[in-house]
Formats: sequence, structure tokens, C-alpha cells
Amino acid sequence: MFAVLIDQFWSLTIAGIALGFIYVLVSLGYTMVYGVLRMINFANSEIFMWGTFGTIVTSRDIFGYTQTSAPATGPKLALVLLSQLLISMAVAGVTAIFVEYVAYRRLRAKGTNRLATLISAIGISIVLSELMRLLTDSRPVGSPRVLEKIILGEVWGANLRLDTIITIFAAALIYFLLERFVKLSRMGKAIRAVSMNEDAAKLMGVNLNRVITTTFLVGGLATGAAGFFYITVFEYTKFNIGFTMGMAAFTAAVLGGIGNIRGAFYGGLFLGLLEVYASAVLGTQWKAVTVFIVLVLVLLFKPNGLFGEAVQTTRA
Amino acid sequence: MKIRNYWNLRDYGANIWENAGRPVRVAIVLVSIVLVGLLPFTGGSFLATPIASFDAVLVYPVGMFVLMSLGLNIVVGKSGMLDLGYVAFFAIGAYTMAILGTTTKLNTWEIMPIGIAFAMIAGVLLGIPTLRLRGDYLAIVTLGFGEIVRLVVLNSTWSKGPNGIANIPMPPHIGPLKFELENQRVFFWVVMAMILLTIWMIRRLSVRRPGRAWEAIRQDEDAAELMGVPTLKYKIWSFTLGAAVGGAAGVLYASKNLYIAPEMFTLNVSILILACVVFGGIGNIWGVVIGATVLGYLPDRIRFISDARLLVFGLVLVIVMNFRPDGLLPRKKREKAIVKREANA
Amino acid sequence: MAKIGKTLLKLDNVTMKFGGVTALNGVNLEVKEGEILALIGPNGAGKTTVFNVITGVYKQTSGIVDFDGTSLGNQKRFQVTALGVARTFQNIRLWGDMTALENVITATDVHKKSGVVGALFGLPRARREESENRERAMEILRFIGIDEYSDRLAKNLPYGVQRRLEIARALGTSPKLLLLDEPAAGFNPAEKVELAATIKKVRDAGYTVLLIEHDMSLIMGISDRVVVLDFGTKIADDIPSVVQNDPRVIEAYLGVPADAS
Ligand SMILES: Nc1ncnc2c1ncn2[C@@H]1O[C@H](COP(=O)(O)OP(=O)(O)OP(=O)(O)O)[C@@H](O)[C@H]1O
Ligand SMILES: [Mg+2]
Repeated sequence: MFAVLIDQFWSLTIAGIALGFIYVLVSLGYTMVYGVLRMINFANSEIFMWGTFGTIVTSRDIFGYTQTSAPATGPKLALVLLSQLLISMAVAGVTAIFVEYVAYRRLRAKGTNRLATLISAIGISIVLSELMRLLTDSRPVGSPRVLEKIILGEVWGANLRLDTIITIFAAALIYFLLERFVKLSRMGKAIRAVSMNEDAAKLMGVNLNRVITTTFLVGGLATGAAGFFYITVFEYTKFNIGFTMGMAAFTAAVLGGIGNIRGAFYGGLFLGLLEVYASAVLGTQWKAVTVFIVLVLVLLFKPNGLFGEAVQTTRA
Repeated sequence: MKIRNYWNLRDYGANIWENAGRPVRVAIVLVSIVLVGLLPFTGGSFLATPIASFDAVLVYPVGMFVLMSLGLNIVVGKSGMLDLGYVAFFAIGAYTMAILGTTTKLNTWEIMPIGIAFAMIAGVLLGIPTLRLRGDYLAIVTLGFGEIVRLVVLNSTWSKGPNGIANIPMPPHIGPLKFELENQRVFFWVVMAMILLTIWMIRRLSVRRPGRAWEAIRQDEDAAELMGVPTLKYKIWSFTLGAAVGGAAGVLYASKNLYIAPEMFTLNVSILILACVVFGGIGNIWGVVIGATVLGYLPDRIRFISDARLLVFGLVLVIVMNFRPDGLLPRKKREKAIVKREANA
Repeated sequence: MAKIGKTLLKLDNVTMKFGGVTALNGVNLEVKEGEILALIGPNGAGKTTVFNVITGVYKQTSGIVDFDGTSLGNQKRFQVTALGVARTFQNIRLWGDMTALENVITATDVHKKSGVVGALFGLPRARREESENRERAMEILRFIGIDEYSDRLAKNLPYGVQRRLEIARALGTSPKLLLLDEPAAGFNPAEKVELAATIKKVRDAGYTVLLIEHDMSLIMGISDRVVVLDFGTKIADDIPSVVQNDPRVIEAYLGVPADAS
């Protein structure tokens, strides 16, 4: 049972890190919104799914690649990949703002109960995934191979594939840039002020609506970038891939302590590795089950995450 | 705002009801039951559905949706907990029926209590650890649970995996009433009976201690706990009773469909049922019944909706929550009427 | 006046920290059976935190809370209520969509045995308890003087009635010790006098009262003893007339040393 795990430990580890970075970016979408609204953005999974389609549409419809065309090289390769990344981010960012505007804003202004907001968010995520299902006739969509999966070298018997390496480095870079943005920029500071204390931030003149929109946008951009990397590695998407991804990324966010950006980083990597190792041992069909069990265990025993600090939740 | 007063069917209906004496009330109830019971004979009218036969549509989706919505309403409407994995209990009931029905000599009515018991046990097992969680965490955990049940069924041999289970027996006849595939009116009457039983259960519990506990939990859980309501216990009860209704629906569904497979138990079912609850009026029995009837029936009547059924339901969730968060028939207590009655007395 | 008896509630060296904030710092406090004990102090002194620790909303960082011979440390919140401690909230937390009567009935349920099964099948005990609870709740509303509002939704009640309903609801749990958190907040002088009479009446009916209040004249009029908190520390504990003239208390309230004035 464990033979596969031991035999392929290093290649699994590399795959796990790449997957982990994809999770890191998607869980940023959950964690950032949670930070300011204290609400789960249920539609984040569908924002991711729309991002993956943005990636494929770019190579297929803008640059005219087909399943049989040769992978790109040189500057053309860089151009196509960069466009894919940016368009995927843009699609996801716009979708995220749309979600906030349609599902959250009105209810927030009315100050109605959380249940209504939750249901509204679930509604919008159903709308997003069903729209895509109808647009694609429920069919999976393959991505043309833009980036040839060259093997760069070998470490401890594990192949270093170009797409995995690019994913790891580029995703780490994007994570780093976003973290800097939240740490250093004015808007980032406003976001953090709101997550710490909404009323105080309002008193200090923070425009709440703008901060919230920006938060959705930033979360959406990260999630969209994840969509691009996902396609680069797995080369396939479908209207319903959001569910599994969302569950995993949310679990990662909770693992790291939801609302905490650094936590998304640790949680994402941890879960990526765990999932790859667990699949090697138990078989891939139990992947989702593993993730779910991890989620329940964390919520029960470490609800503030493995890396977060304890906060008391009720006030009377 | 003014207009609403004229169209306030809920108050209008409630007024008639409140001013009626006991015999009139009994008569109203009996006549309504008979009228609804006669629905399967109206298949030739404008109500007819283009694809499936009308009596079949009355059983599934309409009747089943109403039944399951009432069950989910105990959880979402009465106690304010968002359960997105309701389909799991439906699946557990259905698979209990399928497996026991094909491997033992037990008939549908004998399996029914077993299916309900399994669903309730699953409810307790899931509830004990997760019902301590706050609202949105509960939503996501139940969402995961619903999917896990499907995945387990899909990947296990005892459930015949993706092939599903065929040749599930129909229920044995009840006296002169025979269950038939071509004419499902007896199924409809059984669903109706189950719905009535569920309504009876909810109404009873609502006006007594459990109903008050749920109401207090829904409105302010911390205050409830501090006023001595054992919140976890009542949340688990709510969850478990909801599960029981879902399980019962599942048993009947399997025995009517004669074949079940994992793809019938996706997240979509949970969402459809949630939409039914929300559309009609969270927490209000009649709102839920009407909401589920409309949302169950329309997609079969109006053909172009049936493809985009789920899209429509998603829109319903967003629109209703944003513009009429209490649904078409809100639960609001009719305080004015009470005050007026006092003034007259 | 009711007779003051043995110690009912005892806080022994209780400290409560929230991250860096020390809300309570080694507080000792005793409430004796039959008394009205006032807990006062400037804003943020830690008064509400005392209630939150007693009722199990927060678990104290250190120290012991003993109620009638039972340590409250590991009790669930609803069990604390069942043991005989009930409270009101500084910011009203009624169940708005229930009627006034239902609010109180729900509280009376705490000592009843019947649950879901009894309610569903209409077992005799459940029926009996239902009607007992209803009567008891109505009696309490009458006692507090708000029975005319019994059928009104809590959220539609006038502010003053809501405050009184909070007290009625707490009484619904048949507590030995009643914790009132600023029950007169937002009241005009006339209403305050009326409320003071009510609180006295509650005590004379056999309840022990621990009262948080800012209004000195109200406190002087009804309390047997006054405890003063400042920055989480107890700085005085005596009969009202002594506390009123304690320089440390005056300093805490005015923010300047007493001899500077
Ligand atoms: N949950 C909490 N988290 C962090 N700090 C808290 C919490 N609850 C209370 N505090 C802090 O503890 C201190 C005491 O608060 P508390 O509410 O007990 O004061 P109080 O005496 O009731 O004041 P007031 O008269 O304004 O009601 C305050 O500094 C408050 O900010
Ligand atoms: Mg206070």
C-alpha cells in the first residue's frame, strides 16, 4: 500500500508543492473575503472555474491554438502564457466583483441576517456554474498544449517538469506580491484595518464598500491566477471542477487559520502535499474524502487553524 | 407597501381560519385533502405536463419536493441552520430501500422504518461533531458531507458503484390500492399521507418546548444558551428530524423509481430543495408547501425551463434573498390580528 | 426587609485576560443570600465581564467561581442557568420574533423534563408541563407589571417594556441569583424610581440580586452593599454610604485624585 509513496516520494512531493501553490492562491480568495466580511465566499470555487475557462479561451480563441497545434516557443510562448495568466486573472477578478455586487452588497446594506447572505451567495455560485454548464453543454473542455512539458532534469529520481516548475515559482511570486500589497499599500492597510475592527476602521474614514470590492477583486485575481496554473498543469476543465477545488482550498484556508494571509500559504502547501501523498496510498478516488475528513477534524479540534492564534468568538 | 395589504393572502386565509369554529375547520381540512387527492385525475386538463405524465410529475418532483422541503425546513427554517447536504439523507433512505429490497424479503413498508432510522443515525453522527460550528462552517461541512456520501456510494462495491441498483421492488398493495408504473396515483396518495404526517409533526413541535427552543436558537443562540436552552441537543434533534423526513422520502423514491444510481444524489438536489424552502417562505409550512409545489411543477410544465432548471433555482435563491428575504409567504407572526381580537373582546 | 443569609456566590481571585487586556485582575467577591449587591465602576471597568465569567460566556484565566457549593468552572452555559443563575443583557437580547409570553415560557422550560418525544406524542407529562409553564410565565409578567403586553412580539415592545421583559425572562428560569446588567440604562428618573421598586419587590420575593448600575441615587436607594471595580480591580466593598465617600472611588469616577479638588 505504501510502496508507491516510498518509490515515488520525491516526484509526489514536487507535484504536491505545485498543487499546494494552486491551493494557496485559491484559498487567498476565501481568506481575504473572510477577513473583511467574516463570511465564506461560497462563489469563490466558481470564480476559479471561470478563470480556468479564461485561460483556455485565450490560447484557443485569441491565439488560435488547437489540440493538434505544436506548443509555442521563445517570445511567442512567453506572450501566450502571460496573456493567459492576465486574462484568467481579469475574468476571475471581474467575476468576483460581480459576485460581491449581486449577492452581498444589497444584503449588507440592509444588515439582514447571515442566513440570507449565505443563501444568496450559494445562489450566485449555482448561477455561475449552471451558466457555464449550459454554455459548454456539460462537456469537459481540454486545453491546447501551449507549454511543452519538457523534463528539465532529475532530482532523487524525480522528474522536474517545466510546467510544474513554472507553476511553483510563478505562483510563489504572485503570492508574494499580493502579500506585499496587503502589507504595504494604502488600500491593503485599509483592508487589514477593516478585518481587525470594522467599526473603528469606519470611524477612521475608510470607505467600506470600496475596501470590500477591492478585497473581492484581490481574492479574485489570486483565484484567477490559480486557474491559469491549474490549466497549465492539468490541461482540462469542466463546469463543475469548482466544487472539489473550492472544498480543498477552503480546507486549506481553515487549516492555516481563516482570515490570515500567511495561513493560506501554509495551509495550501500542507494540504497539497497531504492530498498527493494520501492519493498515492489510498487511490485518487478518495482524494475528496480525505480533504473532507481533514476539514472536519480541523474545525473540531483546531477551529482557529494549525497556525492561527486563538480568538474567542462569542460576545455577550 | 399599500398594495401588499390587498394581496396579503396569508392574513386573509388566517383570518378565515381564526374566525371559524372547530367543525368548520375540520371541514376545511377534509375538503382540501380530498381536493388535493383528486389532482391525479386532472391530468387531461391545462395542467398536463408535456414530457412526463402528470400523475408521475405529481409524485416526483412535486410531492417529493414538498415532503423534502418540509423536512429541510425544520433545519433551515425553524432552527436557522443551513444544511447543504440534505441529499445525503435522501440517498441513505434510497440505498437502504434498494439494498434491503433486492437482497431480503422485506417490503417497502417494512424497510421504511429502517431507512428512517439509518438516516436519523447519520444525522446524529454528523450532527454531534458539526452542530457546534458556526453558521457558515456548518453550511460548508454539510455541503462536503452530501458529496462524501455520494462518493462513497460511487466507489463502493456493496452499492454497485456507478452502475447503481436495479430491480428494486415496488411497494405491496395496500388493501385495494395497487401501485403501478403507468398510473402513479397511489404513490401520490402515499406521498400525500407522508406530507400530512410531517406537517402534523412540525405543527405539534412548533407550539411546544422544542419549537420554542429552535426559535430561540435561530434568533439568538447565545441568549438561548444563557437562558438555559440546551442548544446542542435541540439542534441535533432538529437535524435528525429533518434527516428522518429525507430518509423516508428516499425509501419511497427508490421503491417508485425501481432503479437508483449515485448520479441521482448530487449536490443539485440539496440546492433544489433549499430553493423550494426559501422561495415559499422560510419557516412557514404553507409557504414551503406552495413554494415547493410551484418550483417542482413549473420546470415540467414549461419545457424550456427544464433544461435550465438549476439555473432558475439559483436565480430564485439570489433574487428572493435580496428582495424578499422572507419568501413569498413570510413566517411573520400576525400580531395585529391578535391585538385586534383583544380590542373586540 | 429580607434577611441576609449565607454566601451564595463567591469569586475567588478571578482574573480574566483578553490577549493583552486584563479585564479582571484578581477579583474577590461574595454575594449573600437575600441581598441586593450593586456592582459599579467606570466604563470598561470589567463589570459585564464579571457576569460573563459567572454565566460561562468566558472561562476565567485563573481563579475560582463558586455558586452555592458548586464550582462553575466546567459547567456548560445552560447548566449554569439550570443551577440557578440568570442574567439580563446590557444590550437587550430578547428573541424579537417571539411574543413576550413566549420569551418567558422558553426560559421556564429550563427545569422541565419533557422534550421532543413528549411534545410529539402529547404525553401527559409534556401536556402538564406546557400548561404549568404558561401559567408560571403569565404570573411572572404580572409580577413585573407587563402582562398587558403578553401577546405582543418582543421586538415591537416599547423600550422600557423590553428592559423589563429581560428581567421577567431571567426570572422565568427560577434563579436563586439574578444578575442585572444596567437594567435602568436609558430610563428617565420616573422610570428609574419605578424600576428600583420592582427590583426591591423581586428581592423581597426571595431572589438574590447582583446589579450593575451607573445611577448612584438608584443604587444608594436599594442596595445593601456596593462593590466598586476600576480597571478590573476591586477598589471598594462596603455599605453604600461608606463607598460613596471613599476617596478612591471618587477618584476612579472623576479621574482625578480626591484631594486635588
Ligand atoms: N471579548 C472581549 N475581547 C476583548 N476585550 C474585551 C472583551 N470583553 C471585554 N473586553 C474588555 O474588557 C474590559 C472590560 O469590559 P466590560 O464590558 O466588562 O466593561 P464594563 O464595566 O461592563 O463597561 P460598561 O460600563 O461600558 O458596560 C474593556 O476594556 C473591554 O474592552
Ligand atoms: Mg458593561
